[in-house]
Amino acid sequence: MNDVEKRVVDLIAEVLVDVNKENIQLHSKIVEDLGAESLDIYDMIALMEDEFGLEITDEEVEKIHTVKDVADFIRERQAAS
Amino acid sequence: MIPVTDLRTLEDGVQQRVVITGMGMVTCLGSGVAANWEALTAGRSGIGPITLFDASEYLTKFAGEVQGNFDPTGSIPEKELRRLDRFQQFALVAAAEALRDSSLPCPPEDPLRCGVIVGSGMGGLATIEKGMEIIQTKGPRRAPPLLITMAVTNLLPGMLAIKYGFKGPNFGIVNACASGASAIGEAYRAIHDGRADAVITGGTEAVITSLSVAGFNALRALSTRNGEPEKASRPFDSDRDGFVIAEGAGIIVLESLEYARARGANIYAEIVGYGATDDGYHFVMPDPEGEGAYQAMRLAVEEAGISPDLIDYINAHGTSTDLNDRMETVAIKRLMGPAASKVSISSSKSMTGHLIGAAGAVEAIYTVMAIRTGTVPPTINLDNPDPECDLDYTPNKAKSRQVNYAISNSFAFGGQNASLLFKRAD
Repeated sequence: MNDVEKRVVDLIAEVLVDVNKENIQLHSKIVEDLGAESLDIYDMIALMEDEFGLEITDEEVEKIHTVKDVADFIRERQAAS
Repeated sequence: MIPVTDLRTLEDGVQQRVVITGMGMVTCLGSGVAANWEALTAGRSGIGPITLFDASEYLTKFAGEVQGNFDPTGSIPEKELRRLDRFQQFALVAAAEALRDSSLPCPPEDPLRCGVIVGSGMGGLATIEKGMEIIQTKGPRRAPPLLITMAVTNLLPGMLAIKYGFKGPNFGIVNACASGASAIGEAYRAIHDGRADAVITGGTEAVITSLSVAGFNALRALSTRNGEPEKASRPFDSDRDGFVIAEGAGIIVLESLEYARARGANIYAEIVGYGATDDGYHFVMPDPEGEGAYQAMRLAVEEAGISPDLIDYINAHGTSTDLNDRMETVAIKRLMGPAASKVSISSSKSMTGHLIGAAGAVEAIYTVMAIRTGTVPPTINLDNPDPECDLDYTPNKAKSRQVNYAISNSFAFGGQNASLLFKRAD
């Protein structure tokens, strides 16, 4: 995992209190595999926005499914700015 | 039309006797009933400098803060802490102790007959303050998604319903400094009237925050004895200069006597009366004649059907303000007549400070402990009694005394008065 991916996993683990961090893989689907509910997603968005200094719209969130999707989205944003 | 009284007798299980079967607490004196009772009867103060925010510019720089790790048994997973306001954390820890202590099976067999009623004066004020700071510095889109769930008072009883599977009557009580006592009183009523078999109840508060301290200072309500924080809360003493703000939670498990006996529960004491009134006088000053406070105590005593001179101990509201301490003295004299000189009184706020919405609940627990142990906790810092406060406030040293009946008083900004009357278990 690269640095962004590692930080994304940390933040997801911080929100999903019942999920063991070792079970959070890059290919894990955040809702289906990790069991995140809507409030968890909002909480994750807020943490990611704070951590990486960016804004994620609800439309953009709809296209994100796996842990890797999150990290890729963040890296694309960082590259664009 | 059937008169209401007839309807009540038609219901199964009306006029139930109500008992306390579990207790838990977190205060500046420590976590757990045992640690609290040890400190309280030893006359130890829990008041110290404010560390929760930078109070250097504030008129008051001290409070009764809960210290260090207040969850020694790990009842809240560490990772969940950031999703809970401090007022919720205190209550969850106190509830875990109370439920463990009661050995009530959770989830209960009939969840709809088991409820939760918990009071808090100001709920998640720290969360609100932090949320406001975030939207002012980072913009409204950055408001924390859990701000509302951490801010709202009734979310806490909701959380307890989830955790313990209690699905009956559930609500928060907002009654300032009487919240905890009002919650216990209303929980008592729900069981007494046959609407529930068991209720988790009490109060919780965590408002040692910048806004709250600044606000109480602006109201000139807090002591500013910054040089000697441990001596600042001095109920009934001539040199008092206001109350000392504090935090924590007290949670108890109430059950109908029948329900408790059926499962062989340990019974701490019985609640035999509850009086709820309002002064209808002024929004922050108590009626100096103590009319509302007297009426609350009178109602509790009349409900129990006892003579007031049978009361051995009164855990006073005793805030360490001139107005409260004098008014409460007047009210006790009016209730008890000549017997007022014989009753043991004390203010545990002299050691814990004033826990606002949790005060009535932690003091209810202390009152029950006085009944259980035959020890009346002292009022510390009572060195130079106010001449207008001339009853036995158990100055500075705990006293041995068999306590059969005891009252716990709570009075609020807003004029609300709540008196709970406890009786030694049969």
